[in-house]
Amino acid sequence: MLKNYIKIAFRNLWKDKSFTLLNLLRLSVAFAAALLLGMYAFFDLSYDQFHENKEDLFQVYYSEQTPDGQELATSMPVPFAPALERELPNIKHISRYISDHALNLEEGKELDLRLIFTDPEFFEMFSFETLRGPVDVLKNDSQISITEETAQRLFGKTEVLGERLNLLVNGRNEVFTVGSILKDIPVTSGLRFDAAVNFTHSPNYAENVDRWDSRNHSVFIQLSADTTPEALTQSAVSFNNLHYQGNIEDLKRDGAQPNANGNYLELNLLPFKDIHFADFKGDYLKVSRAYPYMILGIGLLILFIAGINFVNMSIARSAQRLREIGMRKTLGAAKKQLFFQFWSESVWIFLIALLLGIGLSLALESPFRQLFNTPARLTDMSSSTLVITLLISFILITFIAGGYPALVLSKLGTLKALKGKLDLAGKNRVRNALMVVQFSIAIVLISGTLVLGKQLDYMRNKDLGFNKEQVVAIPLNGKRTNRQNVALLRNELAGKPGILSVTASDNNLGLGKDGSTYFSRMGFDYKGRGVSTNMLVVDYDYPETLGLQLKEGRTFSRSYSGDSLSIVINEAMARELQEEDPLNKQLIIDDSIKYTVVGVLKDYNFQSLNKKIEPISLFMKGDWDLYYAFVKVAPQNMAQTFESIEDAWKRIEPNAEFLGSFLDENIDRTFKRERTMTTIISSGSLIAIILSCIGLFAISMLVVTQRTKEIGVRKVVGASVAQITFLLTKDFLKLVGVAFVIAAPVAWWLLSQWLQDYEYRIELHLWIFLAAGLLAVFIALFTISFRTIRAALKNPVESLRTE
Amino acid sequence: MIKITDLEKYYATEEVRTIALNKLSFQVQEGEFVAVMGPSGCGKSTLLNILGLLDDPDGGSFIFNGIEVAGFNERKRADLRKHNIGFVFQSFNLIDELTVFENVELPLIYTGVKPAERKKRVDEVLEKMQIMHRRKHFPQQLSGGQQQRVAVARAVVNNPKLILADEPTGNLDSSNGNEVMDLLTELNEAGTTIIMVTHSEHDAKYSHRIIRMLDGQKVTENVLSEYKSKTLEV
Repeated sequence: MLKNYIKIAFRNLWKDKSFTLLNLLRLSVAFAAALLLGMYAFFDLSYDQFHENKEDLFQVYYSEQTPDGQELATSMPVPFAPALERELPNIKHISRYISDHALNLEEGKELDLRLIFTDPEFFEMFSFETLRGPVDVLKNDSQISITEETAQRLFGKTEVLGERLNLLVNGRNEVFTVGSILKDIPVTSGLRFDAAVNFTHSPNYAENVDRWDSRNHSVFIQLSADTTPEALTQSAVSFNNLHYQGNIEDLKRDGAQPNANGNYLELNLLPFKDIHFADFKGDYLKVSRAYPYMILGIGLLILFIAGINFVNMSIARSAQRLREIGMRKTLGAAKKQLFFQFWSESVWIFLIALLLGIGLSLALESPFRQLFNTPARLTDMSSSTLVITLLISFILITFIAGGYPALVLSKLGTLKALKGKLDLAGKNRVRNALMVVQFSIAIVLISGTLVLGKQLDYMRNKDLGFNKEQVVAIPLNGKRTNRQNVALLRNELAGKPGILSVTASDNNLGLGKDGSTYFSRMGFDYKGRGVSTNMLVVDYDYPETLGLQLKEGRTFSRSYSGDSLSIVINEAMARELQEEDPLNKQLIIDDSIKYTVVGVLKDYNFQSLNKKIEPISLFMKGDWDLYYAFVKVAPQNMAQTFESIEDAWKRIEPNAEFLGSFLDENIDRTFKRERTMTTIISSGSLIAIILSCIGLFAISMLVVTQRTKEIGVRKVVGASVAQITFLLTKDFLKLVGVAFVIAAPVAWWLLSQWLQDYEYRIELHLWIFLAAGLLAVFIALFTISFRTIRAALKNPVESLRTE
Repeated sequence: MIKITDLEKYYATEEVRTIALNKLSFQVQEGEFVAVMGPSGCGKSTLLNILGLLDDPDGGSFIFNGIEVAGFNERKRADLRKHNIGFVFQSFNLIDELTVFENVELPLIYTGVKPAERKKRVDEVLEKMQIMHRRKHFPQQLSGGQQQRVAVARAVVNNPKLILADEPTGNLDSSNGNEVMDLLTELNEAGTTIIMVTHSEHDAKYSHRIIRMLDGQKVTENVLSEYKSKTLEV
């Protein structure tokens, strides 16, 4: 019996090659798409989940009730962690953490390393496996822990315990001994580094060791298993009252309201396993896994559409097999037997499609990884969750999509089947519902593509208040001090064609090729109120090079001698100070040093576009470090000028990598998520549309078959080709119409939710959804026209003869 | 073997009720060869469908082998059908995807016969129908006459007590038609009861008795040749 099923299954599949091929193509594309999207989503969800202690690991952050509302801060002062561990119970481990860069000074191996400063307990808290050497290696102040890959890069081998490393760290020369070798950092780790040294080597450690008012690092803690984060928050109240007494009093003085727990300042814990999904919005913390789940959802939608299609197409095609069904029933086949026969045919298709899909996804893996910028790999995804999800989806789709048509066919009446009558009147409702669902999904995805594309376009082209097209930013990663290098770069480029000006600052705009982001904020009292501002240390010509607009006053100038005590602020800062005329106002910042406001810049977007423009103050302090050089170039021959900048840098620092890039590239880099999302949604909708079209095509085939006689009769009594085509088309258009009515509000809601994340966003207009609906209608019309027009053109005698 | 009494069948739509069989009664003895004739729409095919347990009557009694089968559900009917009745259709109704051998084998599969036994019986019947050399061919590769021989082979492979033939020569030329009629006669002589619906007076002459129908009723009955039931002889 089974052999018979298999045999007839394969003969049937073989007989209708084009149908089988279409089915296989469609299903394997759907499986491959779902697999790759699933890989992406599961990879994203697996971020930071490999730590054995993940349930007990947290990042500390403070919420502060300012008069303007709540502010969250993850940056901690140096004495904080030791004090917390000393004074509060239930902290098993605690470690401070700064991620920085260092340059290996060994001749010929001048490599840039991602260096972290942390406490010895770090490696006991997190599951970064030590291959050689002790786990608590950082207890020894002069030792360094490096990863296997780093050891290979630096020494060409991994057995390097005891070797010496000469590093340039924040302008200082430091020598370390390799004390341990770590296994390479897993790709799913949010904390990424090449080497780790004791926290005491961190920048300005000595001067900050007892200062509670200077914050520069993250703190991670591991709670003992028998306590909760809430309990720690509670027990930290007295700790805060002791160590932050001054801050709390200032907040009260400035009119801040305490939070629901009655606290002005509260220590909170963010679960470490949520960090990858957390977004500190300034005033609130958003932890959301919506993004990977949405991608997973798109994958499932594609599978769903493929399943719907398969059902409709199987039923459509069954018209050709009615006599077989009738004959089998006549010969005594039971419903069960027929069900299994048809079902097994589907199972074969699904099985082959799954295998092809897996093959296809493996083949497309590397372009996919590039397109979506993900390190995820299918082979790494042998995680039980993915395999189980895949298995469950496969079984479900096989049961439902394969089972439903088999059930319908096996239940057909013997006589009707024998006479070749396909009586599916009741089934049309199911079919129509499935089509509506399918088109709704397509319309939602098309709207998503349009809106995401528009938002991305808007962000890319938005006037950010500075010149992003003509300015190259260069991370200063050389051997000399950065100030020396800026001076050398100025000399090298002076008078070169295409170079307009050179400047520097301690922060980049957008995300540079060095991949580092950083911000610096400080708070101080002004006229009896606490105010806070972002800080930017700049060199001469900064506003001019960046094309920032001066609103009033002046910018830093070589013709004024005392500019190291001048500051230039933006409009938001003027508002923060509550000064109508902020020029010449004096601010006492940083241990009673008086700074004078000499200029006000128009607001510009120095942070990402999902943030409001915050206050910023520009300083020109010769003794503070600069990390990025900026070169403004003329709009002509920009590529050539860029090369000349690179050449200049190579002459100054032959061993340091040139990581310069135009600011518009840097801004674009910050849209990685949006770009990935747009690509995923648009390719998702493309696949969904193609699959829907194939399904629609099959249905139009069925409808034409069902109505052949009617068409013939109508033509005999005088209906025109156009009338017949319209008759056959209008039912489909109704379905698309219903789909539009369902999909448009859903899409509207989803997309307006998504846009909420952006401070600067496009407006949702009705035309976007109408366009998506019209596109769906157009595609539907185009697809079914193949069959309907052909049916309408047919000689009526042929149509009648089929009865 | 078959006794129908006051058999009724209606086809009802929302507004009209068409009577297909109107209190039809007759009997068929085991071993008999009966031809049913009549104009289109007289209810021949409906009768054959009911006799073949493909359809259920709306009224009256249908006793098959001593069992009242009117009112049986599809499962019971299918069960009775597959063990007792073979069908021969005008349009052969062979399954295109199966070879000659597999088509003939099908009824044996559904009645649960073991593979070795199946092969033996299919080979036997193909031999008998002189179509053995075509056993690996597919239906499309055969002539109409050959296809109908395969269909007959399929109808008899299970050794049914009754063969129902619906215009078995309708799609065949006369020489192929005669061949099929000879085949049916042979089967009948070997003991199988045959009921055949036909338009052809020529074919009807092969039978023992002709029942003529009009508007769902029996109008005449001609006995062509004497027939003695084998069961009566015993």
